[in-house]
Amino acid sequence: MPIRRFYRCCRNILRRGRIAEDLDEELRSYIEMVADEKERAGRTSEEAIREACRETGKLEQVKERVLDVKAGASVDRFFQDLGYGLRMLRRNPGFAIIAITILALGIGATTAIFSVVDAVVFKPLPFPNADRLVRINSVLAATGNGDVASYPDFLDWRTRSRAFERMAAFRTNDFTLVGDREAVHLHGAVVSAELFPLLGVKPLIGRSFLSKEDEPSAASGANPLILSYSLWQREFSSDTSVLGVSIRVDGHAFIVVGVMPQGFQFPIEAEPIELWTTIAVDATGGANAMTAQRGAHYLDVEGLLKPNASVKQAEAEMAVIATTLSKEHPENKARSARVVPEVEGLAGKVRAPLLVLLGAVCCVLLIVCVNVASLLLGRAVGRRKEMAIRAAVGASRGRVISQLLTESLALSLLGGALGLVVAVSSLGLLRRILPPEIPRLESVGINGHLLIFALVISTASGIVFGLAPALQGSRVTLTEPLSENWGRSSSGGKAQGRLRGALVIGEVALAVTLLLGAGLLIQSFLHLIHVDLGFDPNHVLTFEVNSPPENAGASPHQFFGRIVQQISTIPGVSSASADATLPLTGDAMRSSIELEGQPMPLGSRPSANFNVVEPGFFRTLRIKLIQGRDFTEYDNVKSTPVVIVNRALAQRFFANQNPIGKHVRPGIGNGYGPGEPPMREIIGVIGDISQGGVDAEASPEVYAPLAQSPFGTMFIALRTSGDAKAMVNAVRRQVMMIDKNTPIYHVKTLDQYLSQSFTLPRVVTLLLSGFGSIALILACLGVYGVVSYVTLQRTREVGIRIALGAPQAQVLMMIMAEGLRPALLGIVIGVGVAFKLTGVLASLLFRVKPTDLATFAAVSALLAIVTLMACYIPARRAAKTDPMCSLRYE
Amino acid sequence: MSIAQSGGNPRRDLLQGTLALLVLKALALEEMHGMGISRRIAQITNGTFEVKAGSLFPALHRMEEAGWLTSFWGEAETNRRAKFYRLTKLGRRQLETETEQWQRISLAIASALRAT
Repeated sequence: MPIRRFYRCCRNILRRGRIAEDLDEELRSYIEMVADEKERAGRTSEEAIREACRETGKLEQVKERVLDVKAGASVDRFFQDLGYGLRMLRRNPGFAIIAITILALGIGATTAIFSVVDAVVFKPLPFPNADRLVRINSVLAATGNGDVASYPDFLDWRTRSRAFERMAAFRTNDFTLVGDREAVHLHGAVVSAELFPLLGVKPLIGRSFLSKEDEPSAASGANPLILSYSLWQREFSSDTSVLGVSIRVDGHAFIVVGVMPQGFQFPIEAEPIELWTTIAVDATGGANAMTAQRGAHYLDVEGLLKPNASVKQAEAEMAVIATTLSKEHPENKARSARVVPEVEGLAGKVRAPLLVLLGAVCCVLLIVCVNVASLLLGRAVGRRKEMAIRAAVGASRGRVISQLLTESLALSLLGGALGLVVAVSSLGLLRRILPPEIPRLESVGINGHLLIFALVISTASGIVFGLAPALQGSRVTLTEPLSENWGRSSSGGKAQGRLRGALVIGEVALAVTLLLGAGLLIQSFLHLIHVDLGFDPNHVLTFEVNSPPENAGASPHQFFGRIVQQISTIPGVSSASADATLPLTGDAMRSSIELEGQPMPLGSRPSANFNVVEPGFFRTLRIKLIQGRDFTEYDNVKSTPVVIVNRALAQRFFANQNPIGKHVRPGIGNGYGPGEPPMREIIGVIGDISQGGVDAEASPEVYAPLAQSPFGTMFIALRTSGDAKAMVNAVRRQVMMIDKNTPIYHVKTLDQYLSQSFTLPRVVTLLLSGFGSIALILACLGVYGVVSYVTLQRTREVGIRIALGAPQAQVLMMIMAEGLRPALLGIVIGVGVAFKLTGVLASLLFRVKPTDLATFAAVSALLAIVTLMACYIPARRAAKTDPMCSLRYE
Repeated sequence: MSIAQSGGNPRRDLLQGTLALLVLKALALEEMHGMGISRRIAQITNGTFEVKAGSLFPALHRMEEAGWLTSFWGEAETNRRAKFYRLTKLGRRQLETETEQWQRISLAIASALRAT
């Protein structure tokens, strides 16, 4: 049966012209035959026809009912209405162009932002077990800060937990591969063997790591190595015989055991991972090995939940385990654990701003819908006669509504199609202006999600902006619009005026909310770029370099010292030095510190940023030395352990005291051999420097000299008299002369780091301000529209008032009030909504409160002035009209 | 009594079924055009049912969609061109089952009403 029905459905739609003609003829012959019968009964032919018609009833209604029972009637009617709608649009191209253009902009912008959010925030990870992957963080119970765990903790977590099927630890690392040609720097990861089966990924060729390869015993021989597909292609010409080959990485021999499939990456970062080795590389050195220390928090931990376990359950279980561990081990005191879905953790800091942008662009789309709705309302006035005629020949209200909605749908789908073009062409721009370090940004592009989203929001907006005008437009009295002198001040006009007023309230409120958000972000951004960095980022070139293990005889201080010395000799370099973590990179190391005379157990000590520098670092970056002295060549392992602290640390821990000569004990960076790290004497205090980002308060910081706390990977920084970028080649040559197997990498100026740290706030501020401006323009158009409409409606009344001698100013005020009243109400509502809503911006704001009074006042005033203008222009035109002209108007 | 067809009427289904049965019955003997069917129904129900165009034509077309009737253009008694309807095999079977059903129901209702 369904097949036959489907067949009839198709046939009916294809032959719909014939069917309608047929039906017309059938009904005509019916009426004629009824009339024939009446005539035979003795009526005149005129009477007979009149009676026959009356008996038959409304012909259009009968026809409509018959066509309704035909198979495929609703589909057919939809296309009929659609065709009619398109014809109507063609007849009124001005309206159609404006409506479709603003819809295209709204839908296009929303679709573009959505596709970024979809790719970066929502899209599942590209692993078979993606939905069960979680990140397990080791955090301080009091603050919830922290993420990395120690290896002994990880082992205990793994054996004691029940919620996880597997658990693996990993960290990223910078490697140097020494091949036949020059040495290359590679970004890689050190992982526990279970990582690959945990993700559900197998190597393309070769094998995964074996669990015994995690063991410290394996460290005696050559460690296993797995290559990324691109590294295999690039350095080994995709040769399968690479398996089992021994290669030298960081001065040690590694055996290649596998190659991962193309595109595989873990951890997912903007900088691709090119090789993986096992945690065994951290297990050398017996009791001093990284993997042996419970206090060495340096590993990320990934978990695979059991199929029936939830994140909540896992977190509850991990909290119990962490509490037990904190009782068993003094190092773990005050530590807890947190479980975060991997996909959520991955988006990290960009999640909140991107969601804010998506919310904002949806507001813009809503305002667009409101504007199109008021355009439709304006058009409905011109179509009242048409609607009345439809009602008179028997179209039901539902039928008229569905026809008007179909017309709106035609409009929104056209807007959506054009919007898709807008979205696709702005994707490239978005990808370029967003910070490249956002993970998975490169995967933003045209896909099924984008197309479906565009279709859904186009349809939804068609219904949103079409519904109110359709309900309004279908409510017609039969006689009123058809009579020739149908007044412009009719009751229908008043109802429409109210609806328009409501729309204006809504769009002004939305615009105020958006502009307030934009205003707060602009303020925050201005604070951000004008913040006193505490150093001079201009003309400073930086790069990273690893101390080669072959030079084991020389200490890192000797190696890096030589580089600094060599580089200082390059003409144009005014000073050079080195440090372990650059400001603005967001990679600060944190360490516990113990204060002199205040012994405290390990877990409850305060923490501070810890950095290692060479002498002259503060001078090179022009960081102010407030008190005391800089490090010198004489601060080494043969002399007193020393540190320099920043002002924030001095103020927090040595308020009202002279910090010089006091002692602190950082928990890491011990160059004095095994045992507890030494107490260090404070020899200097420097000014606070910004670490970038929106952290309002400067953190306490401790700097130790490299000679007293060796560190294998350092940033070299050099201040130049001219263009810092021009020095790159000279610098590369100098380092090559010292050791040809030591590549330099991450070559960047401090300026670049600075502008990079501003990229996300700048883009978010820029986009939100753009959205706010569009909202402002659209809201003004709305206010302008409502005042123009009122003016048109009351032309006659205004004419009479002016004729009777009403002062122009009074008439002006009367008309302006029509637009100002809803606009002001909209501003009040918008401010109220924003007051509740701007809290979501809190994490994005720098030194601005989400309820900043000045911003609220300024934006409200701006909106009030702008809407006043939008009211004044049409109102003045009305007040200036010649009374005779307006009276003749009707 | 006239058979109205108004939406939302709870009796609509029952009356629609009745109308279909009457149309099937009217066409059982010979093929007929719309007005003929309307007049025949009035005749065989002794004027109890008077079918208006607004109910008749939707019913005819619905039954045609269901495959119970076919239609063709022909010449009416008064030399007017008219659309004629004819029962199909499916329509005859439908008439049989509906007649049977109707009789069962009317018997049941009648005996129910007789019971005290």
